[in-house]
Amino acid sequence: MQDSIIKFENITMQFPGVLANDNVSFDIKQGEVFALVGENGAGKSTLMNVLYGINTPTAGNVYIKGKKMEKFHPSEAIACGVGMVHQHFMLVPSFTVAQNIALSKEPRKSKIFYDLKAAEKATSDLVEDYGLVVDPKAVVEEISVGLQQRVEILKTLYRGADILILDEPTAVLTPQETEELFDVIRRIVKEKNMTVIIITHKLNEVMAISDRVGVMRKGKLVGVENTKDVNERILASMMVGRDVLLGKVNKTGTPGDVKIEVKDLHVTDNRGLLAVKGVDLNVRAGEILGVAAIEGNGQSELLEAITGLRDIEAGEVYIEGTKINGMDPGQIRHLGLAHIPEDRIATGVSVQSDITDNLIIGKETRPEFSKYKLQLKKSTIVRYANEIFEKFDMRGAGVDTKVGSLSGGNMQKVVVAREFSFNTPVLIIAQPTRGVDVGAIEFIHQCIIDKRNEGCAIILVSADLDEVFRLSDRIITMYEGKITGEFAEGEIDKMGISYYMTGDRSNEAGGEA
Amino acid sequence: MKFLNKIDKKYVLTLIICIFVALLCGAFIMLATGFNPIEAYATIIEGAIGKPRLLGNTIEKFMTLCLLGLATAIGAKGGLFNVGGEGQLFFGALASTMVGLTLSSLPAPIVILLAFLTAVVVGGFYAWIPAMLKVKLNVSEIITTIMLNTVAIKVVTYLVNGPWVSSSPAVSKGTDYLPDKLAFTKLIAASNLSTGFIFGAILTFLIWYFMKMTTVGLQMKLTGENPRFARFSGLKSDKIMVGSMVASGAICGFVGMTLVYGYNGQMVDTISSDYYFDGMLVAMIMNYNPIGIVIMSVFFAILNTGANMIDMTMGISSQIYDIIFSVLIFLMAANKGFIEWFNQSQAKKKARAIAKEKAGKEGI
Repeated sequence: MQDSIIKFENITMQFPGVLANDNVSFDIKQGEVFALVGENGAGKSTLMNVLYGINTPTAGNVYIKGKKMEKFHPSEAIACGVGMVHQHFMLVPSFTVAQNIALSKEPRKSKIFYDLKAAEKATSDLVEDYGLVVDPKAVVEEISVGLQQRVEILKTLYRGADILILDEPTAVLTPQETEELFDVIRRIVKEKNMTVIIITHKLNEVMAISDRVGVMRKGKLVGVENTKDVNERILASMMVGRDVLLGKVNKTGTPGDVKIEVKDLHVTDNRGLLAVKGVDLNVRAGEILGVAAIEGNGQSELLEAITGLRDIEAGEVYIEGTKINGMDPGQIRHLGLAHIPEDRIATGVSVQSDITDNLIIGKETRPEFSKYKLQLKKSTIVRYANEIFEKFDMRGAGVDTKVGSLSGGNMQKVVVAREFSFNTPVLIIAQPTRGVDVGAIEFIHQCIIDKRNEGCAIILVSADLDEVFRLSDRIITMYEGKITGEFAEGEIDKMGISYYMTGDRSNEAGGEA
Repeated sequence: MKFLNKIDKKYVLTLIICIFVALLCGAFIMLATGFNPIEAYATIIEGAIGKPRLLGNTIEKFMTLCLLGLATAIGAKGGLFNVGGEGQLFFGALASTMVGLTLSSLPAPIVILLAFLTAVVVGGFYAWIPAMLKVKLNVSEIITTIMLNTVAIKVVTYLVNGPWVSSSPAVSKGTDYLPDKLAFTKLIAASNLSTGFIFGAILTFLIWYFMKMTTVGLQMKLTGENPRFARFSGLKSDKIMVGSMVASGAICGFVGMTLVYGYNGQMVDTISSDYYFDGMLVAMIMNYNPIGIVIMSVFFAILNTGANMIDMTMGISSQIYDIIFSVLIFLMAANKGFIEWFNQSQAKKKARAIAKEKAGKEGI
């Protein structure tokens, strides 16, 4: 079990302006679960892409099973037994499980005709062999994300992989699905003697699943440790170079008047299907309402309807007591609402413009920034941008830097800085720290809590349950467009809440009680 | 000189190289067809600025290119690509001519003001149609504006050769000539340069000021860059997009008027020969930067007027202008990819050097 199966030797990967991997060397041993951790942009994915033949390193060598790999393509990596499951699944939604698994290596009758039966047989053999239960005849778009991930894993096994790379495999999973995935990993390592490399930035998962852990920071390998010799605190400080494990936040004050009221709201998604099906909620001043839901259960459409980006089909929404049905986002903002959107690049900024322009938009017609709402007071605007820039500690070249060239964390700070400086009584916040490094997470969390303590009514949607639990005063769960549970702070834990995120439990609970 | 820091030096450098290569290509073609390129380029310069009359023509050409380039830029900044300026120009020119001919009994300043308003409104309206189609029905404005060009040119050709053709035997084609009192005063005798230039220069300044210094310009820029972000931020992005397109069309309409009132004197179906497309390409070469468009228009105005001279004196076809223009466009398009490639190869070189150095140190 102690043989080296993969060897990285002085890997350096230079992208224009970014040194993604800086002289990285380490071994991965046969039959172990190796966790690769680091903040966003630490170079984990780049290194795995080097191993998989997607990136050709600027310098250094990769050895797979003792063989030196030079200028190779993913097909050669696959031939060596490397299989990669990307963060975003690469499946054909309308195909069945078996069709997806056999794709590009289809069994044939008489060398010409697709042998679907054989493909299904091969799939069910794999399913049995590895204990990864999934129906070969199910259509991929109709099965859950957790099952889709299994299909991805089976696909690599079908191609003969014995080294499995999982890129952020738990990002889209519920805690229960995560547990199931870990069971699968433990089993294939133990019974099939496979090697698994798991990329993540969730440290509790590292502790739960890995034998050894490699920590990367800013392209460099900080160290490789035996998991049993370290703990989360040690790993966190290795990752960021300082101690930043998230502590408890300090909440003060009591909830005031109702600021956001949603009554029997119905909203459709981009395909015209009902995504929000009769949601009622209200949020008071000085209160954070957390929405816990797995992606695609109507929470995005809910926020878009409240902020005017999406039409309301039925029901009513009141902001500060005013009905907003039929208003455009500008009118709703005038009522006293600011919004951090879930996708900052698509919605939250203009990447071609500089920080100043991105900070000032929405305030440009205020008398302090323009004469007669027309002539911009350029120097005042630049001074204002610099003030905000300092206050939010955006590290970049300066306020004339194009937002597109900022890191995820700094770009998010631009959005947060702009929206929070409207000083509105209502805040709608979606995925505030997605793809943001640990230091910036702490900062953004503190900003949100400050707003709450000042008396803002806040709705927070986040895929990160830790974040929802840390910040919320109250948590609702959503499943398929409906609210399936409501809990006060401390009333439920993460494992418990996932039960309500994965199904409508109102009937069961009533029936069993 | 703070603004100098803001200029993308790499862009300017590659632009200069591209211009040089384009001129070199022109030189090769001249050599291959048996002409002396140095003599030809000297003649181009002389033909563009050698005499007051020629200089006047060059300045007039510059103003036309510059305004049309800015018209493209305004549309593009607002997020809509106006390819229909030629049609807007034709209709603006025709409408202002008809105002002048119909109301010629009124005092000149009033007629000119009315003609101006008509040209602007007609040009703007003709751009409003594709803009509304885009905003309401998501019909590609590129397709509609191209097709509306053809419609405009055909309609104008019919009108100025059919119902509105001059009945005077002294006029060989097109409408009647405008009365002398309406024609813009010439700034340089016998040249095309008239007081229209002054209006144009004022307009150019206003466009620059509007785009760079006003809240509306800022809103327009952000809408053009990311319409979803604009809507999210509470801007009326649809109105801004339509507005920028209408502004673009209005400028084209005004240019049409200056062509008639400035030197042509009547409306003909050849009032513009793809002038808008020249302006559009200038704008594209300069990334829709207003100051860049002004500078680049000077260069092409010289080349354009000068090319007529080498045609007349040396017998080199004035199409050499088109060739140089095309080569430059081609190079500038390829330029983006080239810069990318250059940056990447530089970065790789650097990384290799660093890696080598480290390996060397560790070896010791």
